[in-house]
Amino acid sequence: MPALLEGHRLAVRFGGVAALKGVDLAVDAGEVLSVIGPNGAGKTTLFNVITGRVRPAAGAVLFDGEPIHRLAPFRIALLGVVRTFQKTEVFGPLRLIDGVAAGALARNDPNPLARASEALSTVGLDRKAHLSAQQLSYGDQRLLEIAQALAAKPKVLLLDEPASGMNHHESKRIMKLIVELRARGLAMILVEHNMHVVMSISDRVIVINYGEKIAEGRPDHVRNDARVIEAYLGVPQAADARAR
Amino acid sequence: MLDALPYRLATIAVLVALFAIPLVVHDDYYLHLFIVSGIFAAAVVGLDLIVGYVGQLSLAHAAFFAMGAYTSALLFIRLHWSMWLGLPAAALLVGVVAIVLGSIILRTRGHRFIIITVVFAELMRLVATNWVDMTRGFMGLPGLVVPPLVLPGIGAIDLTSKSRFYYVVLVAAIVAFVICRVIVRSSIGRKFVLIRENEPLAESLGISAFRYSMIAFAVGAAIAGAAGSLYAHYVGFVSPDLFNFSYVTIMLIMVILGGKGTLVGPALGAVIFTFLPEFLREASHWRMITFAAILIAATLFMPKGIVFPLLTHLLPRERRLRNARAA
Repeated sequence: MPALLEGHRLAVRFGGVAALKGVDLAVDAGEVLSVIGPNGAGKTTLFNVITGRVRPAAGAVLFDGEPIHRLAPFRIALLGVVRTFQKTEVFGPLRLIDGVAAGALARNDPNPLARASEALSTVGLDRKAHLSAQQLSYGDQRLLEIAQALAAKPKVLLLDEPASGMNHHESKRIMKLIVELRARGLAMILVEHNMHVVMSISDRVIVINYGEKIAEGRPDHVRNDARVIEAYLGVPQAADARAR
Repeated sequence: MLDALPYRLATIAVLVALFAIPLVVHDDYYLHLFIVSGIFAAAVVGLDLIVGYVGQLSLAHAAFFAMGAYTSALLFIRLHWSMWLGLPAAALLVGVVAIVLGSIILRTRGHRFIIITVVFAELMRLVATNWVDMTRGFMGLPGLVVPPLVLPGIGAIDLTSKSRFYYVVLVAAIVAFVICRVIVRSSIGRKFVLIRENEPLAESLGISAFRYSMIAFAVGAAIAGAAGSLYAHYVGFVSPDLFNFSYVTIMLIMVILGGKGTLVGPALGAVIFTFLPEFLREASHWRMITFAAILIAATLFMPKGIVFPLLTHLLPRERRLRNARAA
């Protein structure tokens, strides 16, 4: 049986540069798949391909067995493949509740504000629903992004560095949230540099470097893979510095 | 925000005042200014959909207005269609043109969009100027008339006097305003605002920026076309001068200094910026310089437009505080 979301031999070229060279991935409902790799390895490009912002030069993305890699980004989102962004994206001056309602409005939900307030309480921002996004702290804005995505009723949620720039307390909050969403049966693909987050909550990890998948497996397996250590983690001290 | 009782009452008061104007104002010159204000008010609430709600700066709007004027004029002169047929035909044709143009240019944003709208407007000016067989070029199309309104059981009502044509324009402006207001308060209008605030994010959550920008663009253009038709029959003459850049400038001034994204602001802006240059005639040589100085001052001191400071001073205090906190 095919997985909920599959990427087959995905290749992307930007001019002469191959950003992705035939990457495979699959994620199923109730599963957290992490994608790690050094900066510039192609992680965000992979997200852009899955969500339709970048067309693959070769390969295919299948959602529920149907190809989606030629669809417009908004159609992919309507199917239930929704992402967050590496650089925080919110609807600055709008009230949280109005911005989070976007995903529900897009699906012509009869009660978008109710969907929005559910999503806000899932991430714990319900008491700030009437503030504007730009009044929130950075950490809360990252949570807001997840609420925005949740109101779009995703089946697959792609999180691009949700814990970046967060302190220990805030990243614990994000981890708890991800675990909770997994328990609800959401499939998640996570790009994250914080190794503590990746290693604690992922079911599987894939490692990409220079656009190629160099390892895949359970977190402890990947952590001990010689190629991964060489390509990405380097010496242990450097890994700690990067993971912070 | 505008549902509270004071606003209902204010709305009724404004409507009564607008309907009473010809009963109070008997000077044809002032009535003329009110009629022109009304025509521009209709056109600019349509422009507010695209500029104020979707957040795309369109410089094609005056060209849509002029195309509506030409459509209605040509239908009258060549086919003897009265304004009652010419006006919806103008709205329809201009709306269709906007859909065709939009399907090409609404995939772009920012500078490219602005430049293409300018090019389109200039192209339409050249067509109006050079397609002499059809448009008579610089000579324009004279002899347009305001048709009587034929009501079953009552007979024909002559509308050629300014005080009567005022009501035609007032009803048209109200219809345009109501159409736009219904749209912006619907889920469509909420999607406009989400696209304006963050288009890539809105797309990533399932909203088609293209589709909703198109709705705003086409509806706004159709309204401009209808307003152009009214203008043509009121003035009685159309010429390529209608495509002058000054028209789009004044329309944008009405929208932006009126208060974009509010509909009320641009409508009010239409009245203010129709009357203001006329009042400044007193200043003779200094007229345009004074006008420019007022525009600059308004831009500096009322960056959100005239209507926002008005609203905040009229709002009950606790509501104002809540809004201030949310802003």
